[in-house]
Amino acid sequence: MAEGRPAAPAVRDAFERRAEPGRALAGQAGDVARACRDMAGRFRDGGKLIVFGSGGASTDAQHIAVEFVHPVIVGKRALPAVSLTDDAAALTGIAAAEGLDAVFAAQLDLLGGPRDIALGVSGDGRCPAVLRGLETARRLGMLTVALTGADGGELARRAAADHVLLAGSDDPCVVKEMHVTLYHLLWELVHVFLEHPDAPEPDDAR
Amino acid sequence: MTAPDHAGDAADMETLYPFLYAGGTRADALLEDARRSAEAKAAEIAALRADLADRHGEALRRCARRMAEAFRAGGRLLTFGNGGSSTDAQAVARLFAGPPPPAPPLPAISLPHDVATLTALSNDVGFEVVFARRLAALGRPGDIALGLSTSGGSRNLLRAFDEAARRGMVTVGFAGYDGGAMAEAGTVDHLFVVPSSSVHRIQEAQTTVYHVLWELTVRALEGAP
Repeated sequence: MAEGRPAAPAVRDAFERRAEPGRALAGQAGDVARACRDMAGRFRDGGKLIVFGSGGASTDAQHIAVEFVHPVIVGKRALPAVSLTDDAAALTGIAAAEGLDAVFAAQLDLLGGPRDIALGVSGDGRCPAVLRGLETARRLGMLTVALTGADGGELARRAAADHVLLAGSDDPCVVKEMHVTLYHLLWELVHVFLEHPDAPEPDDAR
Repeated sequence: MTAPDHAGDAADMETLYPFLYAGGTRADALLEDARRSAEAKAAEIAALRADLADRHGEALRRCARRMAEAFRAGGRLLTFGNGGSSTDAQAVARLFAGPPPPAPPLPAISLPHDVATLTALSNDVGFEVVFARRLAALGRPGDIALGLSTSGGSRNLLRAFDEAARRGMVTVGFAGYDGGAMAEAGTVDHLFVVPSSSVHRIQEAQTTVYHVLWELTVRALEGAP
């Protein structure tokens, strides 16, 4: 490895494209904290986390589920979380019967309840399956959280979730990188609120 | 995935979230602590990422040129990892095979997502062979084996790299900390180590590194030097 040598322009340019969105992420810190406070409230009441996304975002959904169920930090309690993206029989079955846009909504209808949390990931805010999933989650009384990017698309315009966290970049790769940090923060700060004996009630429970 | 995070123990928690332990119970103070913590973590990953261009820039270009050669010669990308890194393996495969236009789709397979084979091998033989056996069955000389780990010490990844190297595949590895056993094995041609002791920051930085590697590979395929 050529450590410490100045990088070639193409490499430098690629890394520099991450700098501004990375700085902008710090500006989301207040929204992240509020989302975590409300998520912790649902977990405290016995709720579970249900995560979903399409394409590349389906891998983020799985990552989020394993993060909550099997924490990397020893001693942190396991929290109930499930990703709707892993069961190929369910996905292809629903897609064939009801269309691709229904793959998450149909599963949420069966699995989701009013104490639960729905977390949808859509890098451009335009994924019809995620939008329908969030709609269904709202109808079921779930707390809704969304990770999006670019201009947030339909998702941001409709304010399709109670907490919309947006990565400010048009590049889907950069958006994903910001999402990884955002969901690591969601996990960490949920535990901070859960572990604090005097943690407040979430806004939506007052 | 089981390595301790540096923010993990109670003493650290007290330093990071002073309001929580100062007897103050005001909701605003708790929220403000959480906000500041999120802000600090965002700054931490931004700084770590900024350091990677110089640290890995040349190695990334070299690896991208080698991967482009392999794809040109009909090679395929086979990816693997455990836990959160298994989702990165799948994300890498998806990026190469279904990239944002106009980049060309390239042949890529994610190994951790065949649950029938994974559980069969784990049950009948042992978890260390889950990727090595699949590479033996699927891999050809000239293919690319790409494995992601945070510790660098996962035995099933080390076995997979052994197998891939033995079969004449190009081997690409991602690790954290000091690279662990992956740095010592001698079976990883191109190794990218993120020098951090936080599993979370390592994974975040690795995401950037494999995205840049993909971008440079596509450029190399287009004939960029």
